[in-house]
Amino acid sequence: MEENENILEKAVRALKNEQVPPGPPQELAEATIAKLTQTSGQSNTVMSGRRFRFIERLKATNSFTKVAAAAVLLIIAGYAAGRLSAPQGPDAEQLQAALEPAIRRNLIDEMEQYWQLVLTSSYAQLKDELGQQYRSDLNQFAAYTLAASGAATNQLLEELIESINTAQTQDRQWVAAAFEQIELNRLRDNAQLSNAFATFAVRTEDELQRTKQGMAQLLSYTQPDSSVPNELQNLKP
Amino acid sequence: MIDWQIIIEKHGPAVWQTAYRLLGNRTDAADCFQETFICALELSRRQRIRNFSALLTRLATTRAIDRLRRRFRRSHCETVSTAVPSTNPGPAQMAQQQELIARLRESLTQLPPQEAQVFCMRCLNDMSYRQIAKALDIKTGAAGVLLHRARAKLRQSFGVSPKEQK
Repeated sequence: MEENENILEKAVRALKNEQVPPGPPQELAEATIAKLTQTSGQSNTVMSGRRFRFIERLKATNSFTKVAAAAVLLIIAGYAAGRLSAPQGPDAEQLQAALEPAIRRNLIDEMEQYWQLVLTSSYAQLKDELGQQYRSDLNQFAAYTLAASGAATNQLLEELIESINTAQTQDRQWVAAAFEQIELNRLRDNAQLSNAFATFAVRTEDELQRTKQGMAQLLSYTQPDSSVPNELQNLKP
Repeated sequence: MIDWQIIIEKHGPAVWQTAYRLLGNRTDAADCFQETFICALELSRRQRIRNFSALLTRLATTRAIDRLRRRFRRSHCETVSTAVPSTNPGPAQMAQQQELIARLRESLTQLPPQEAQVFCMRCLNDMSYRQIAKALDIKTGAAGVLLHRARAKLRQSFGVSPKEQK
């Protein structure tokens, strides 16, 4: 059952995802419009549209709306009757002559107040705008200055670092040369010392030999005596 | 006054898609398209149309299913191979999909008209239950029941092929 469900879902998905060419084609739409026009007749459609529009509206409106519409109609009729039956008003020209100076004066006062208000508000607005502009310019200038000083500082720092690096490199080279010289001196001294030790050993050996011969010669010059210790007698060659 | 040109411009693509998707070829879809609008015109003479979109979708679905039914009744159910380029990966899968589509179309013709309509509106046009109910002038619950029945019948139909049924 579940497999059937899957197959059904797959089929629905396939049908849904099947590519439909964009349409309808233009000629089909035109042909359909022509057929519709031919079938209906333009006037017929208009007539029928108008005929049932009012009826439909009447049918669609509920009773509350109908009662409200009736009440509105009654109110309008009452208002019209009241207007028609009201007594004639005063003469318009007299009224105009009486009211005109006062209205004019009031109008001038109001205009003055209005313009004062406008000027005050525009002055305040202008002040605010100028202040804002000034602040923004100042901020911009400060930003530019900071950026320029930062760039100059960076340049100087780079140069300083470069000079420090150069000096350190030179120092290292000098130290290396000194160590090399010290090593050479050590090797030379070592060689000289070993030569000196060898010479010293040879000379010491010669000297010992000579001393030995001298001692033997000295012993040969003296007569053997009982008082001579045995150690000296053993030294004879 | 009903301006049919505007209505065709506005709702024509949806009607075309519904018809083409169900029928699978250009000729039948074009006939169905025209029939749908003629039927809408006749309806508009009898009553005021408030929702053209729902009406045209319903009419297009009905007409397309009628045409499918006639097609399969004449045992003329060859698989229509559309020449529209597809992004499907391989010919085997494409053939399988075409087979599934043909089988679904055939199964739809075996459903009662209202169930087929509800199924198409829900599954192919992605309409909500409320929209379907409004378009078919039925209750929302009834739309759900019809869809459930349609699904059950289609599942059964997919479980046993028509040849096996015979």
